[in-house]
Amino acid sequence: MRKVAIVGGGGTRCGKREANFRELVQEAGKAMFENVKNISPKDVEALIVGAAQPERFVFQAHVAPMVAEYLGITPRKVLARTELMCASGQAAIRYAWACVASGMADIAVAFGVEKMFMPDMAEAQTNMACVLDREWDGINALPAPPFFAMTAQRHMYEFGTTKEQMALVSVKNHHYSTMNPLAQFQKETSVEEVLKSPVIAPPFNLFDCSGITDGAAGVVLVPAEMAKKYTDTPMYIVGSGQASIGNVIANLADLTDWIPLKMAAEETFRTAKITLKDIDIAELHDCFTISEIMEYEAFGWCKKGKGGKFIENGEPYIGGTIAVNPRGGLLGCGHPLGATAILQALDILQQFRGEVPKGRHVKDAEVAITHNLSGPANVHSILAYKRS
Amino acid sequence: MKKVEFEKIKRPETIKLPYMLDFYPLEDEKNTRTSQFFKNLKEGRFTTTKCKKCNKVLWPPRIVCPNCLSEGLEWIDLGVEGELYAFTEMKLGAPLGFCQDVPFCVGIVKIGGLLISARIDNATYDSLKIGDKVTLKIVELEDRRVFYRFKTK
Repeated sequence: MRKVAIVGGGGTRCGKREANFRELVQEAGKAMFENVKNISPKDVEALIVGAAQPERFVFQAHVAPMVAEYLGITPRKVLARTELMCASGQAAIRYAWACVASGMADIAVAFGVEKMFMPDMAEAQTNMACVLDREWDGINALPAPPFFAMTAQRHMYEFGTTKEQMALVSVKNHHYSTMNPLAQFQKETSVEEVLKSPVIAPPFNLFDCSGITDGAAGVVLVPAEMAKKYTDTPMYIVGSGQASIGNVIANLADLTDWIPLKMAAEETFRTAKITLKDIDIAELHDCFTISEIMEYEAFGWCKKGKGGKFIENGEPYIGGTIAVNPRGGLLGCGHPLGATAILQALDILQQFRGEVPKGRHVKDAEVAITHNLSGPANVHSILAYKRS
Repeated sequence: MKKVEFEKIKRPETIKLPYMLDFYPLEDEKNTRTSQFFKNLKEGRFTTTKCKKCNKVLWPPRIVCPNCLSEGLEWIDLGVEGELYAFTEMKLGAPLGFCQDVPFCVGIVKIGGLLISARIDNATYDSLKIGDKVTLKIVELEDRRVFYRFKTK
Protein backbone atom coordinates (compact mmCIF):
# COMPACT_ATOMS: atom_id res chain seq x y z
CA MET A 1 0.00 0.00 0.00
CA ARG A 2 1.33 3.43 -0.96
CA LYS A 3 0.99 6.44 1.32
CA VAL A 4 -1.48 8.91 -0.19
CA ALA A 5 -1.60 12.71 -0.09
CA ILE A 6 -4.33 15.24 -0.77
CA VAL A 7 -2.66 18.01 -2.76
CA GLY A 8 -5.49 20.46 -3.25
CA GLY A 9 -9.19 21.02 -3.43
CA GLY A 10 -12.02 23.44 -3.83
CA GLY A 11 -15.67 23.84 -3.07
CA THR A 12 -18.72 26.00 -3.67
CA ARG A 13 -20.45 28.32 -1.27
CA CYS A 14 -23.14 26.14 0.29
CA GLY A 15 -26.77 27.05 0.84
CA LYS A 16 -29.86 27.71 -1.21
CA ARG A 17 -28.00 28.30 -4.43
CA GLU A 18 -29.33 29.85 -7.63
CA ALA A 19 -27.49 27.17 -9.55
CA ASN A 20 -28.31 23.67 -10.74
CA PHE A 21 -26.51 20.37 -10.08
CA ARG A 22 -24.22 20.71 -13.10
CA GLU A 23 -23.28 24.31 -12.30
CA LEU A 24 -22.41 23.39 -8.70
CA VAL A 25 -20.13 20.70 -10.15
CA GLN A 26 -18.39 23.17 -12.44
CA GLU A 27 -17.94 25.80 -9.72
CA ALA A 28 -16.33 23.32 -7.35
CA GLY A 29 -14.27 21.66 -10.08
CA LYS A 30 -12.78 24.94 -11.27
CA ALA A 31 -11.90 25.91 -7.69
CA MET A 32 -10.32 22.48 -7.15
CA PHE A 33 -8.14 22.49 -10.29
CA GLU A 34 -7.02 26.06 -9.64
CA ASN A 35 -5.80 24.94 -6.23
CA VAL A 36 -3.24 22.43 -7.58
CA LYS A 37 -0.36 23.05 -9.92
CA ASN A 38 0.67 20.78 -12.77
CA ILE A 39 -2.62 18.86 -12.92
CA SER A 40 -5.18 19.49 -15.64
CA PRO A 41 -8.50 17.65 -15.95
CA LYS A 42 -7.01 15.40 -18.63
CA ASP A 43 -4.42 14.09 -16.14
CA VAL A 44 -7.05 12.64 -13.80
CA GLU A 45 -7.09 8.84 -14.04
CA ALA A 46 -9.70 8.02 -11.42
CA LEU A 47 -12.85 9.93 -10.47
CA ILE A 48 -15.11 8.88 -7.61
CA VAL A 49 -18.26 10.97 -7.14
CA GLY A 50 -20.13 11.00 -3.84
CA ALA A 51 -23.80 11.81 -4.39
CA ALA A 52 -26.55 10.53 -2.13
CA GLN A 53 -29.81 10.93 -4.01
CA PRO A 54 -29.46 12.64 -7.41
CA GLU A 55 -32.14 10.29 -8.79
CA ARG A 56 -34.68 11.89 -6.49
CA PHE A 57 -33.40 15.43 -5.99
CA VAL A 58 -32.59 16.20 -9.63
CA PHE A 59 -34.02 13.12 -11.43
CA GLN A 60 -30.62 12.10 -12.72
CA ALA A 61 -28.83 8.78 -12.48
CA HIS A 62 -25.38 7.83 -13.83
CA VAL A 63 -23.92 11.06 -12.47
CA ALA A 64 -20.24 10.03 -12.36
CA PRO A 65 -19.71 10.34 -16.14
CA MET A 66 -21.77 13.53 -16.12
CA VAL A 67 -19.48 15.04 -13.50
CA ALA A 68 -16.47 13.83 -15.52
CA GLU A 69 -17.83 15.49 -18.65
CA TYR A 70 -18.57 18.79 -16.91
CA LEU A 71 -15.09 18.82 -15.35
CA GLY A 72 -13.32 17.89 -18.57
CA ILE A 73 -12.10 14.63 -17.04
CA THR A 74 -11.76 11.51 -19.20
CA PRO A 75 -11.04 8.79 -16.62
CA ARG A 76 -8.92 5.91 -17.90
CA LYS A 77 -8.58 3.86 -14.74
CA VAL A 78 -11.59 4.13 -12.41
CA LEU A 79 -14.95 5.88 -12.55
CA ALA A 80 -17.82 5.37 -10.12
CA ARG A 81 -20.34 7.03 -7.87
CA THR A 82 -20.55 6.28 -4.16
CA GLU A 83 -23.78 6.37 -2.15
CA LEU A 84 -23.68 6.08 1.60
CA MET A 85 -26.27 8.76 2.29
CA CYS A 86 -24.77 11.39 4.61
CA ALA A 87 -21.34 9.73 4.30
CA SER A 88 -21.40 9.46 0.48
CA GLY A 89 -18.55 11.96 0.19
CA GLN A 90 -16.41 10.12 2.69
CA ALA A 91 -17.02 6.92 0.74
CA ALA A 92 -15.71 8.77 -2.34
CA ILE A 93 -12.52 9.78 -0.51
CA ARG A 94 -12.04 6.24 0.81
CA TYR A 95 -12.28 4.68 -2.67
CA ALA A 96 -10.14 7.35 -4.33
CA TRP A 97 -7.62 6.73 -1.55
CA ALA A 98 -7.78 2.97 -2.17
CA CYS A 99 -7.25 3.54 -5.91
CA VAL A 100 -4.08 5.55 -5.33
CA ALA A 101 -2.80 3.45 -2.41
CA SER A 102 -3.18 0.22 -4.39
CA GLY A 103 -1.47 1.62 -7.47
CA MET A 104 -4.60 1.42 -9.64
CA ALA A 105 -4.25 5.14 -10.33
CA ASP A 106 -1.69 7.89 -9.71
CA ILE A 107 -4.02 10.88 -9.89
CA ALA A 108 -7.51 10.55 -8.45
CA VAL A 109 -10.27 13.02 -7.70
CA ALA A 110 -12.75 12.48 -4.88
CA PHE A 111 -15.73 14.68 -5.65
CA GLY A 112 -19.01 15.29 -3.86
CA VAL A 113 -22.19 17.05 -4.90
CA GLU A 114 -25.79 17.41 -3.80
CA LYS A 115 -28.51 19.71 -5.09
CA MET A 116 -31.18 19.49 -2.40
CA PHE A 117 -33.38 22.55 -2.83
CA MET A 118 -36.44 21.59 -4.85
CA PRO A 119 -39.41 23.76 -5.80
CA ASP A 120 -41.55 21.81 -3.27
CA MET A 121 -39.63 21.12 -0.06
CA ALA A 122 -42.03 18.34 0.95
CA GLU A 123 -40.47 16.38 -1.90
CA ALA A 124 -37.03 16.80 -0.36
CA GLN A 125 -38.42 15.51 2.95
CA THR A 126 -39.93 12.56 1.07
CA ASN A 127 -36.51 11.68 -0.30
CA MET A 128 -35.05 11.72 3.19
CA ALA A 129 -37.76 9.33 4.39
CA CYS A 130 -36.39 6.48 2.28
CA VAL A 131 -33.03 6.62 4.05
CA LEU A 132 -34.23 4.57 6.97
CA ASP A 133 -35.69 1.18 6.00
CA ARG A 134 -38.62 2.58 4.02
CA GLU A 135 -41.03 -0.33 4.40
CA TRP A 136 -40.64 -0.64 8.21
CA ASP A 137 -39.36 2.73 9.54
CA GLY A 138 -39.65 5.34 6.77
CA ILE A 139 -43.30 4.33 6.33
CA ASN A 140 -44.01 5.84 9.75
CA ALA A 141 -43.06 9.24 8.33
CA LEU A 142 -39.54 9.01 9.71
CA PRO A 143 -37.04 11.16 7.89
CA ALA A 144 -33.97 12.06 9.97
CA PRO A 145 -35.30 14.78 12.33
CA PRO A 146 -37.92 12.72 14.23
CA PHE A 147 -35.55 9.75 14.50
CA PHE A 148 -32.75 11.85 16.00
CA ALA A 149 -35.33 13.72 18.11
CA MET A 150 -36.16 10.40 19.76
CA THR A 151 -32.45 9.73 20.25
CA ALA A 152 -32.21 13.13 21.95
CA GLN A 153 -35.28 12.39 24.06
CA ARG A 154 -33.69 9.13 25.30
CA HIS A 155 -30.40 10.91 26.01
CA MET A 156 -32.25 13.54 28.03
CA TYR A 157 -34.24 10.82 29.82
CA GLU A 158 -31.24 8.60 30.63
CA PHE A 159 -28.56 11.20 31.36
CA GLY A 160 -30.35 14.45 32.12
CA THR A 161 -29.03 16.24 29.03
CA THR A 162 -30.90 19.51 28.50
CA LYS A 163 -32.24 21.42 25.51
CA GLU A 164 -29.99 24.33 26.53
CA GLN A 165 -26.91 22.10 26.34
CA MET A 166 -27.94 20.90 22.88
CA ALA A 167 -28.52 24.51 21.81
CA LEU A 168 -24.96 25.34 22.86
CA VAL A 169 -23.66 23.01 20.12
CA SER A 170 -25.59 25.04 17.55
CA VAL A 171 -24.28 28.29 19.07
CA LYS A 172 -20.66 27.08 18.84
CA ASN A 173 -20.90 25.82 15.27
CA HIS A 174 -22.76 28.91 14.04
CA HIS A 175 -20.02 31.00 15.66
CA TYR A 176 -17.31 29.24 13.65
CA SER A 177 -19.33 29.25 10.42
CA THR A 178 -19.52 33.05 10.52
CA MET A 179 -15.83 32.83 9.60
CA ASN A 180 -16.26 30.34 6.77
CA PRO A 181 -16.92 31.87 3.34
CA LEU A 182 -18.33 28.53 2.08
CA ALA A 183 -20.84 28.19 4.93
CA GLN A 184 -24.62 28.27 4.42
CA PHE A 185 -25.20 30.20 7.66
CA GLN A 186 -22.91 33.11 8.45
CA LYS A 187 -24.74 34.62 11.39
CA GLU A 188 -24.17 34.07 15.10
CA THR A 189 -26.99 32.48 17.07
CA SER A 190 -27.79 32.26 20.78
CA VAL A 191 -29.34 29.67 23.08
CA GLU A 192 -32.51 31.79 23.26
CA GLU A 193 -32.67 32.00 19.47
CA VAL A 194 -32.23 28.22 19.08
CA LEU A 195 -34.97 27.53 21.65
CA LYS A 196 -37.30 30.04 19.96
CA SER A 197 -36.75 28.72 16.44
CA PRO A 198 -39.72 26.76 15.00
CA VAL A 199 -40.38 23.35 16.54
CA ILE A 200 -39.60 20.60 14.03
CA ALA A 201 -40.08 17.50 16.18
CA PRO A 202 -39.66 17.95 19.94
CA PRO A 203 -37.16 18.21 21.54
CA PHE A 204 -35.74 19.62 18.28
CA ASN A 205 -36.20 23.16 17.08
CA LEU A 206 -35.08 24.23 13.63
CA PHE A 207 -31.60 25.30 14.81
CA ASP A 208 -30.99 21.86 16.32
CA CYS A 209 -31.06 20.51 12.75
CA SER A 210 -28.56 20.90 9.92
CA GLY A 211 -29.92 22.49 6.79
CA ILE A 212 -31.16 21.40 3.42
CA THR A 213 -28.21 22.51 1.31
CA ASP A 214 -26.88 22.79 -2.23
CA GLY A 215 -23.13 22.37 -2.58
CA ALA A 216 -20.21 20.61 -4.22
CA ALA A 217 -16.52 20.08 -3.54
CA GLY A 218 -13.56 18.06 -4.75
CA VAL A 219 -10.08 17.08 -3.63
CA VAL A 220 -7.13 15.66 -5.60
CA LEU A 221 -5.27 12.59 -4.35
CA VAL A 222 -1.80 11.41 -5.45
CA PRO A 223 0.89 9.09 -4.07
CA ALA A 224 2.75 10.82 -1.21
CA GLU A 225 6.09 10.59 -2.99
CA MET A 226 4.67 12.63 -5.91
CA ALA A 227 2.87 15.20 -3.74
CA LYS A 228 5.45 17.98 -3.82
CA LYS A 229 5.15 18.16 -7.59
CA TYR A 230 1.61 19.48 -7.13
CA THR A 231 1.79 21.56 -3.96
CA ASP A 232 4.20 22.74 -1.30
CA THR A 233 1.65 21.89 1.38
CA PRO A 234 0.02 18.49 0.97
CA MET A 235 -1.73 16.59 3.73
CA TYR A 236 -1.62 12.87 4.21
CA ILE A 237 -4.35 10.29 4.78
CA VAL A 238 -2.96 8.17 7.59
CA GLY A 239 -5.78 5.93 8.73
CA SER A 240 -9.46 5.17 8.76
CA GLY A 241 -12.19 3.20 10.43
CA GLN A 242 -15.72 2.31 9.49
CA ALA A 243 -18.33 0.15 11.22
CA SER A 244 -22.01 -0.64 10.81
CA ILE A 245 -24.43 -2.53 13.04
CA GLY A 246 -28.03 -3.19 12.03
CA ASN A 247 -30.21 -1.00 9.85
CA VAL A 248 -33.87 -1.15 10.82
CA ILE A 249 -34.43 0.70 14.13
CA ALA A 250 -35.23 -2.59 15.93
CA ASN A 251 -31.79 -3.94 15.08
CA LEU A 252 -29.60 -0.99 16.10
CA ALA A 253 -26.96 -1.75 18.71
CA ASP A 254 -28.21 0.94 21.10
CA LEU A 255 -30.05 4.24 20.62
CA THR A 256 -27.91 6.32 23.00
CA ASP A 257 -24.59 4.50 22.80
CA TRP A 258 -23.04 4.63 19.34
CA ILE A 259 -21.12 1.38 19.46
CA PRO A 260 -20.23 1.39 15.73
CA LEU A 261 -18.63 4.81 16.28
CA LYS A 262 -16.49 3.41 19.07
CA MET A 263 -15.45 0.55 16.79
CA ALA A 264 -14.63 2.90 13.91
CA ALA A 265 -12.66 5.20 16.23
CA GLU A 266 -10.62 2.28 17.60
CA GLU A 267 -9.81 1.12 14.08
CA THR A 268 -8.84 4.68 13.07
CA PHE A 269 -6.47 5.00 16.01
CA ARG A 270 -4.97 1.58 15.27
CA THR A 271 -4.39 2.20 11.55
CA ALA A 272 -3.21 5.81 11.98
CA LYS A 273 -1.06 4.89 14.99
CA ILE A 274 -2.49 7.80 16.96
CA THR A 275 -4.30 8.18 20.27
CA LEU A 276 -7.22 10.43 21.18
CA LYS A 277 -4.77 12.90 22.73
CA ASP A 278 -2.91 13.33 19.43
CA ILE A 279 -5.95 14.80 17.68
CA ASP A 280 -5.85 18.56 17.25
CA ILE A 281 -8.98 19.05 15.12
CA ALA A 282 -12.11 16.90 14.98
CA GLU A 283 -14.65 17.53 12.25
CA LEU A 284 -17.60 15.58 13.65
CA HIS A 285 -20.94 14.88 12.00
CA ASP A 286 -23.30 17.30 13.78
CA CYS A 287 -26.36 16.58 11.62
CA PHE A 288 -28.28 17.39 14.81
CA THR A 289 -27.10 19.00 18.04
CA ILE A 290 -27.49 15.73 19.95
CA SER A 291 -25.20 13.96 17.46
CA GLU A 292 -22.19 16.07 18.39
CA ILE A 293 -22.87 15.56 22.11
CA MET A 294 -22.99 11.78 21.63
CA GLU A 295 -19.81 11.93 19.55
CA TYR A 296 -17.82 13.62 22.38
CA GLU A 297 -18.85 10.64 24.47
CA ALA A 298 -18.28 7.84 21.96
CA PHE A 299 -14.81 9.08 20.98
CA GLY A 300 -13.98 9.28 24.67
CA TRP A 301 -13.32 13.00 25.18
CA CYS A 302 -15.80 12.73 28.03
CA LYS A 303 -17.70 9.99 29.86
CA LYS A 304 -20.96 8.55 28.55
CA GLY A 305 -23.84 10.84 29.44
CA LYS A 306 -21.54 13.81 30.14
CA GLY A 307 -21.55 15.29 26.62
CA GLY A 308 -23.96 18.04 27.68
CA LYS A 309 -21.64 19.16 30.47
CA PHE A 310 -18.68 18.97 28.04
CA ILE A 311 -20.16 21.66 25.77
CA GLU A 312 -21.46 23.63 28.75
CA ASN A 313 -17.86 23.88 29.97
CA GLY A 314 -16.64 25.06 26.57
CA GLU A 315 -14.42 21.99 26.11
CA PRO A 316 -15.08 21.48 22.36
CA TYR A 317 -14.05 25.06 21.48
CA ILE A 318 -10.58 25.91 20.11
CA GLY A 319 -8.36 26.10 23.16
CA GLY A 320 -10.49 23.55 25.07
CA THR A 321 -9.99 19.79 25.34
CA ILE A 322 -10.50 19.35 21.59
CA ALA A 323 -11.41 21.74 18.77
CA VAL A 324 -14.65 20.26 17.41
CA ASN A 325 -15.96 21.58 14.11
CA PRO A 326 -13.93 24.77 13.75
CA ARG A 327 -15.20 24.68 10.14
CA GLY A 328 -18.68 25.46 11.46
CA GLY A 329 -20.00 21.91 11.29
CA LEU A 330 -23.06 20.78 9.41
CA LEU A 331 -25.18 23.01 11.64
CA GLY A 332 -23.33 26.11 10.48
CA CYS A 333 -22.11 25.14 7.02
CA GLY A 334 -25.15 23.18 5.88
CA HIS A 335 -25.19 19.54 4.82
CA PRO A 336 -25.04 18.95 1.06
CA LEU A 337 -24.99 15.17 1.61
CA GLY A 338 -22.49 13.98 -1.00
CA ALA A 339 -20.27 17.05 -0.60
CA THR A 340 -20.08 17.25 3.20
CA ALA A 341 -17.11 14.93 3.82
CA ILE A 342 -15.17 16.52 0.95
CA LEU A 343 -15.78 19.96 2.45
CA GLN A 344 -14.54 18.63 5.81
CA ALA A 345 -11.34 17.31 4.19
CA LEU A 346 -10.87 20.57 2.30
CA ASP A 347 -11.18 22.57 5.51
CA ILE A 348 -8.61 20.39 7.29
CA LEU A 349 -6.24 21.02 4.36
CA GLN A 350 -6.82 24.76 4.73
CA GLN A 351 -6.36 24.53 8.51
CA PHE A 352 -2.99 22.79 8.02
CA ARG A 353 -2.03 25.40 5.43
CA GLY A 354 -3.06 28.26 7.71
CA GLU A 355 -5.53 29.54 5.15
CA VAL A 356 -8.57 29.86 7.42
CA PRO A 357 -9.50 33.07 9.29
CA LYS A 358 -7.69 33.58 12.58
CA GLY A 359 -10.81 33.23 14.74
CA ARG A 360 -11.27 29.60 13.76
CA HIS A 361 -7.67 28.61 13.06
CA VAL A 362 -6.25 25.79 15.18
CA LYS A 363 -2.60 26.79 15.44
CA ASP A 364 0.13 24.20 14.85
CA ALA A 365 -2.39 21.42 14.24
CA GLU A 366 -0.68 18.22 13.11
CA VAL A 367 -3.41 15.57 13.36
CA ALA A 368 -7.07 15.81 12.40
CA ILE A 369 -9.99 13.46 11.98
CA THR A 370 -13.19 13.79 10.02
CA HIS A 371 -16.25 11.76 10.95
CA ASN A 372 -19.54 11.08 9.24
CA LEU A 373 -22.48 9.06 10.41
CA SER A 374 -25.20 7.92 8.06
CA GLY A 375 -28.73 6.53 8.24
CA PRO A 376 -30.04 6.00 11.77
CA ALA A 377 -26.43 6.34 13.04
CA ASN A 378 -25.91 2.65 12.35
CA VAL A 379 -22.93 3.50 10.13
CA HIS A 380 -19.95 5.54 11.26
CA SER A 381 -17.01 6.44 9.00
CA ILE A 382 -13.79 8.16 10.07
CA LEU A 383 -10.66 9.35 8.25
CA ALA A 384 -7.44 10.54 9.90
CA TYR A 385 -5.18 13.19 8.35
CA LYS A 386 -1.71 14.46 9.17
CA ARG A 387 0.11 17.60 8.11
CA SER A 388 3.40 15.76 7.70
CA MET B 1 -34.76 36.82 -38.92
CA LYS B 2 -36.68 33.70 -39.80
CA LYS B 3 -39.93 33.22 -37.86
CA VAL B 4 -39.73 30.31 -35.43
CA GLU B 5 -42.78 28.34 -34.39
CA PHE B 6 -43.93 28.42 -30.73
CA GLU B 7 -46.34 25.76 -29.50
CA LYS B 8 -47.74 25.29 -25.99
CA ILE B 9 -47.58 21.67 -24.90
CA LYS B 10 -49.36 19.96 -22.02
CA ARG B 11 -48.45 17.60 -19.26
CA PRO B 12 -51.14 15.59 -17.41
CA GLU B 13 -52.80 17.69 -14.69
CA THR B 14 -52.92 14.78 -12.26
CA ILE B 15 -51.06 11.51 -12.20
CA LYS B 16 -51.80 8.38 -10.20
CA LEU B 17 -49.68 8.21 -7.03
CA PRO B 18 -46.44 6.78 -8.42
CA TYR B 19 -44.88 3.76 -6.74
CA MET B 20 -41.73 5.79 -5.98
CA LEU B 21 -43.80 8.03 -3.71
CA ASP B 22 -45.85 5.25 -2.08
CA PHE B 23 -44.51 4.44 1.38
CA TYR B 24 -46.65 1.33 1.78
CA PRO B 25 -45.09 -1.94 0.60
CA LEU B 26 -46.60 -4.24 -2.01
CA GLU B 27 -47.83 -6.89 0.38
CA ASP B 28 -49.58 -9.65 -1.56
CA GLU B 29 -48.00 -12.99 -2.42
CA LYS B 30 -47.34 -11.89 -6.01
CA ASN B 31 -44.91 -9.28 -4.67
CA THR B 32 -43.43 -10.66 -1.47
CA ARG B 33 -42.70 -13.99 0.15
CA THR B 34 -43.60 -12.60 3.58
CA SER B 35 -47.21 -11.69 2.72
CA GLN B 36 -48.23 -13.82 5.70
CA PHE B 37 -47.31 -10.88 7.95
CA PHE B 38 -50.01 -8.76 6.34
CA LYS B 39 -52.54 -11.64 6.31
CA ASN B 40 -51.95 -12.02 10.04
CA LEU B 41 -52.27 -8.27 10.50
CA LYS B 42 -55.70 -8.38 8.79
CA GLU B 43 -56.74 -10.84 11.51
CA GLY B 44 -55.51 -8.49 14.24
CA ARG B 45 -52.28 -10.41 14.87
CA PHE B 46 -48.90 -8.65 15.06
CA THR B 47 -46.36 -11.28 14.06
CA THR B 48 -42.86 -11.87 12.82
CA THR B 49 -40.59 -14.76 11.84
CA LYS B 50 -38.48 -16.78 14.26
CA CYS B 51 -35.67 -19.15 13.27
CA LYS B 52 -36.49 -22.73 14.29
CA LYS B 53 -32.80 -23.67 14.17
CA CYS B 54 -31.12 -20.90 16.21
CA ASN B 55 -34.26 -19.53 17.90
CA LYS B 56 -33.52 -15.96 16.88
CA VAL B 57 -36.55 -13.68 16.57
CA LEU B 58 -36.16 -11.85 13.27
CA TRP B 59 -37.58 -8.39 12.65
CA PRO B 60 -38.71 -7.49 10.10
CA PRO B 61 -40.03 -10.83 8.78
CA ARG B 62 -37.48 -12.70 6.67
CA ILE B 63 -37.19 -15.67 4.35
CA VAL B 64 -33.69 -16.64 5.51
CA CYS B 65 -32.20 -16.32 9.00
CA PRO B 66 -29.27 -13.88 8.73
CA ASN B 67 -27.88 -15.42 11.92
CA CYS B 68 -27.53 -19.06 10.74
CA LEU B 69 -28.76 -18.95 7.11
CA SER B 70 -31.55 -21.46 7.86
CA GLU B 71 -34.77 -21.25 5.84
CA GLY B 72 -36.70 -23.00 8.60
CA LEU B 73 -38.61 -20.05 9.98
CA GLU B 74 -41.92 -19.96 11.84
CA TRP B 75 -44.44 -17.19 12.50
CA ILE B 76 -44.75 -16.02 16.10
CA ASP B 77 -47.06 -13.49 17.75
CA LEU B 78 -45.42 -10.40 19.24
CA GLY B 79 -48.58 -9.48 21.14
CA VAL B 80 -50.76 -6.42 20.74
CA GLU B 81 -49.70 -4.38 23.77
CA GLY B 82 -46.46 -2.48 24.03
CA GLU B 83 -44.69 0.23 25.98
CA LEU B 84 -43.43 3.57 24.67
CA TYR B 85 -39.62 3.62 24.58
CA ALA B 86 -39.31 7.00 22.83
CA PHE B 87 -41.57 9.34 20.89
CA THR B 88 -41.80 12.68 19.16
CA GLU B 89 -44.37 14.70 17.27
CA MET B 90 -43.96 15.59 13.62
CA LYS B 91 -44.66 19.34 13.49
CA LEU B 92 -42.77 20.48 10.39
CA GLY B 93 -41.07 18.75 7.50
CA ALA B 94 -43.35 15.77 6.95
CA PRO B 95 -42.89 13.85 3.69
CA LEU B 96 -45.41 14.06 0.85
CA GLY B 97 -48.35 11.82 1.57
CA PHE B 98 -48.12 12.55 5.29
CA CYS B 99 -48.40 16.36 5.23
CA GLN B 100 -52.19 16.19 5.65
CA ASP B 101 -51.74 14.42 9.02
CA VAL B 102 -49.42 17.01 10.63
CA PRO B 103 -49.05 17.22 13.57
CA PHE B 104 -48.88 13.52 14.45
CA CYS B 105 -46.86 11.39 16.86
CA VAL B 106 -44.31 8.72 16.02
CA GLY B 107 -42.59 6.52 18.51
CA ILE B 108 -40.48 3.50 19.23
CA VAL B 109 -42.54 0.80 20.94
CA LYS B 110 -41.12 -1.98 23.10
CA ILE B 111 -43.11 -5.07 22.14
CA GLY B 112 -42.27 -8.79 22.14
CA GLY B 113 -38.73 -7.94 23.23
CA LEU B 114 -38.19 -5.68 20.19
CA LEU B 115 -38.02 -1.91 19.69
CA ILE B 116 -40.28 -1.18 16.73
CA SER B 117 -41.01 2.23 15.21
CA ALA B 118 -44.63 3.17 14.56
CA ARG B 119 -47.12 6.00 14.36
CA ILE B 120 -48.76 6.67 17.74
CA ASP B 121 -52.42 7.70 17.37
CA ASN B 122 -54.76 9.44 19.86
CA ALA B 123 -51.82 11.40 21.22
CA THR B 124 -49.97 14.68 21.32
CA TYR B 125 -46.36 15.12 22.42
CA ASP B 126 -47.46 16.67 25.70
CA SER B 127 -49.92 13.86 26.47
CA LEU B 128 -47.29 11.11 26.26
CA LYS B 129 -44.49 9.93 28.51
CA ILE B 130 -41.84 7.25 28.21
CA GLY B 131 -43.21 3.96 29.55
CA ASP B 132 -46.85 4.61 28.53
CA LYS B 133 -48.85 1.55 27.49
CA VAL B 134 -49.91 1.50 23.84
CA THR B 135 -52.03 -0.98 21.90
CA LEU B 136 -51.90 -2.19 18.32
CA LYS B 137 -54.13 -0.52 15.75
CA ILE B 138 -54.51 -1.49 12.11
CA VAL B 139 -55.00 0.99 9.29
CA GLU B 140 -56.36 -0.01 5.89
CA LEU B 141 -55.68 1.82 2.61
CA GLU B 142 -58.31 2.30 -0.14
CA ASP B 143 -56.79 -0.64 -2.02
CA ARG B 144 -57.18 -2.97 1.01
CA ARG B 145 -53.47 -2.99 1.92
CA VAL B 146 -52.97 -2.80 5.69
CA PHE B 147 -50.33 -1.50 8.07
CA TYR B 148 -49.93 -1.22 11.83
CA ARG B 149 -49.88 1.71 14.19
CA PHE B 150 -50.19 1.94 17.97
CA LYS B 151 -52.59 4.04 19.97
CA THR B 152 -52.94 5.23 23.52
CA LYS B 153 -56.01 4.16 25.50
